[in-house]
Amino acid sequence: MNVVVTPAMLGQVVISGILSGALYAMVALGLALIFGVMRIINVAHGPLLMLGAYATYFLSTAVSMAMLFVVGVLLERTLVFRVVDAPELSSLLLTFGVSIALVNLAQLLFTSDLRSVEYLTGAWVVGPFALSKSRVVAFVFAGALTGLAFLFLGRTKLGKAIRATSQSREVAMVCGIDVQRIHLVTFGLAAALAAAGGALIAVIVAIQPEMGQIWTFKSFLVIVLGGAGNYPGALLGGILLGLIEQVASLFLTTQLSEVVAYVLLVAILLVRPTGLLGGRQT
Amino acid sequence: MTTKALAALITAIGVLAGGLPAAAQGPIRIGASLSLTGTYAKLGNYQNEGYKLCAKQANEHGGLLGRKIEFVVYDDQSAPSTAVRLYEKLITEDKVDAVIGPYSSPVTEASANVTEKYKKVMVTPLAATTSIFKRPPDKKRYYLFMVISPAEAYLEGLVDMAAKRGLKTIAIVNEDTLFAKAAGDGAAELANKRGMQVVFREGYPKGNQDFSAILTKIRAANPEVLAASTYFDDAIAITRQMKELNVNPKMYGITVGGDLPEFYDLLKQNAEYITGATQWETTLPYPGNREFSDAYKKEFGREPVYHSAAGYAGCVIYLEAVKRAGTLDSDKVRDVLLKLEMKTAFGDFKVDQDGFQTAHKMVTTQWQDGKKVIVWPDELANGKLRFPTPPWNQR
Repeated sequence: MNVVVTPAMLGQVVISGILSGALYAMVALGLALIFGVMRIINVAHGPLLMLGAYATYFLSTAVSMAMLFVVGVLLERTLVFRVVDAPELSSLLLTFGVSIALVNLAQLLFTSDLRSVEYLTGAWVVGPFALSKSRVVAFVFAGALTGLAFLFLGRTKLGKAIRATSQSREVAMVCGIDVQRIHLVTFGLAAALAAAGGALIAVIVAIQPEMGQIWTFKSFLVIVLGGAGNYPGALLGGILLGLIEQVASLFLTTQLSEVVAYVLLVAILLVRPTGLLGGRQT
Repeated sequence: MTTKALAALITAIGVLAGGLPAAAQGPIRIGASLSLTGTYAKLGNYQNEGYKLCAKQANEHGGLLGRKIEFVVYDDQSAPSTAVRLYEKLITEDKVDAVIGPYSSPVTEASANVTEKYKKVMVTPLAATTSIFKRPPDKKRYYLFMVISPAEAYLEGLVDMAAKRGLKTIAIVNEDTLFAKAAGDGAAELANKRGMQVVFREGYPKGNQDFSAILTKIRAANPEVLAASTYFDDAIAITRQMKELNVNPKMYGITVGGDLPEFYDLLKQNAEYITGATQWETTLPYPGNREFSDAYKKEFGREPVYHSAAGYAGCVIYLEAVKRAGTLDSDKVRDVLLKLEMKTAFGDFKVDQDGFQTAHKMVTTQWQDGKKVIVWPDELANGKLRFPTPPWNQR
């Protein structure tokens, strides 16, 4: 009953792993931004992604990202700013509450029925490999958006200000950076990245109110693997998680692949608590 | 209930009551705990409507043993522990005359301990897990009766049709939970019996959305048949990802979910050729099925689902057994139920010595041009199986 793993199969899962890894990286980048700049663990990241998926379903990806940017800004201005300097438990509790509220709101508004975007189904067959059309497109977009986000962080004044705040809030303030505004933009940007994730995921899996939570967990895993607050680390962590999941499912079983990912998480926390690329040096 | 049944009922009452004025007695109260809120709310309410319709019709035809029937229903919020408490209350405090089953296997499993303790016959229309009924001799349940087909039968149609078409290899995947695993086991056993080789078998965790690796392995194993024991979300994900990874078995069947209209709504033409399994359909030519569906639509303003029909049938079966026994006495009703062979709107009823259902047939459906066609078993089919399934790029 056991299937012998051939190089072609390994190649196929490596492709699958990299394709989904890029998505993980993009979604996790949002979480890493918020953590890096505000020291807040945003448990509502996944549910924001879910909202983004619904917005894409009803409207379009661009509108979805813009809307979620606004939602992020509003969340920051009304609630999140209150816990920025509070102990980490406060921010956990607050965002956990927001997360529950968002999921239930979505159930109320959209019901729990599954929705799906039947767009670009099927595969391009290249030799022994099948490349899922929707996943390749999601990969390209995720790559492009992540690239843009890095350009923004590296080249623009606002992006540099965000990184400066992330390195040291006090020094940033002394240099005349409006930290409040940076927090606002960061939260909005992170929510927009989650929305983009939701939009791209919507063409891969069905949309439903509880689709987001798993992405919160995956994003955590990614930023811990890569190094919390380290933005290139999120990229590495994302691709790594995608590969680990797929390769472990191939050699073991799908049940065990999750175990492998989390065992690795514990191992990294023990051996290299700052993540593979270390934390906060951006 | 037919006029003939009514006549039989009146005769039975005449014999039993010996002229006792029927109206002098109060109604027969049948107690049930149902999942009216919580996880199973939708389905528990369907079952409740089945009970209600059954009671209403029976009362219109003179009731049972000359008495009216009244249901006493409490909400267990889909929690087995609450149901246990409610059956205890129904039997000891409310002193109901009879009980009938709750919704789902887990709730039945817990509640049956109470009803057994008080030696109450319980027909439980919506428990499909074999282990509830098939137990070691010292833990045998004497008063519990099954109505729907067991989980192991869900993929029987797919395997049977494949074997008849000379297919030799099958891959089986299932969600790693009690019911889905049992359905997968059933398929594996049937396939072996029919001389097919199970070339791949794997479970996946509940809530799994990424099937790339599993499907890569399946593609390498290259089975002629793929059987997936699913719920709904996973069935959608597996189907979409099969197309993404270009996995092309000659037959592909799923269990729960494949018969729902939403399945086609979501997958559109990608749902074509896929078979699903169901306990019951409105279109099945069972005696009284059309009448049941019409009455149900009139009463509740919507189409019945199998949970409604099973609830209705469970109640009809219990009433029939009481009628034949001429008494509510548990042991006498039990003796009748063990021998009863009956056709209801839900299909055949017959149980073995463990109260385990042996006669009810699952049906297998296939999506054909957006319509759900019953393709198995032959005697209930209203169309032919489209076979073989063409590769994805030729659909």
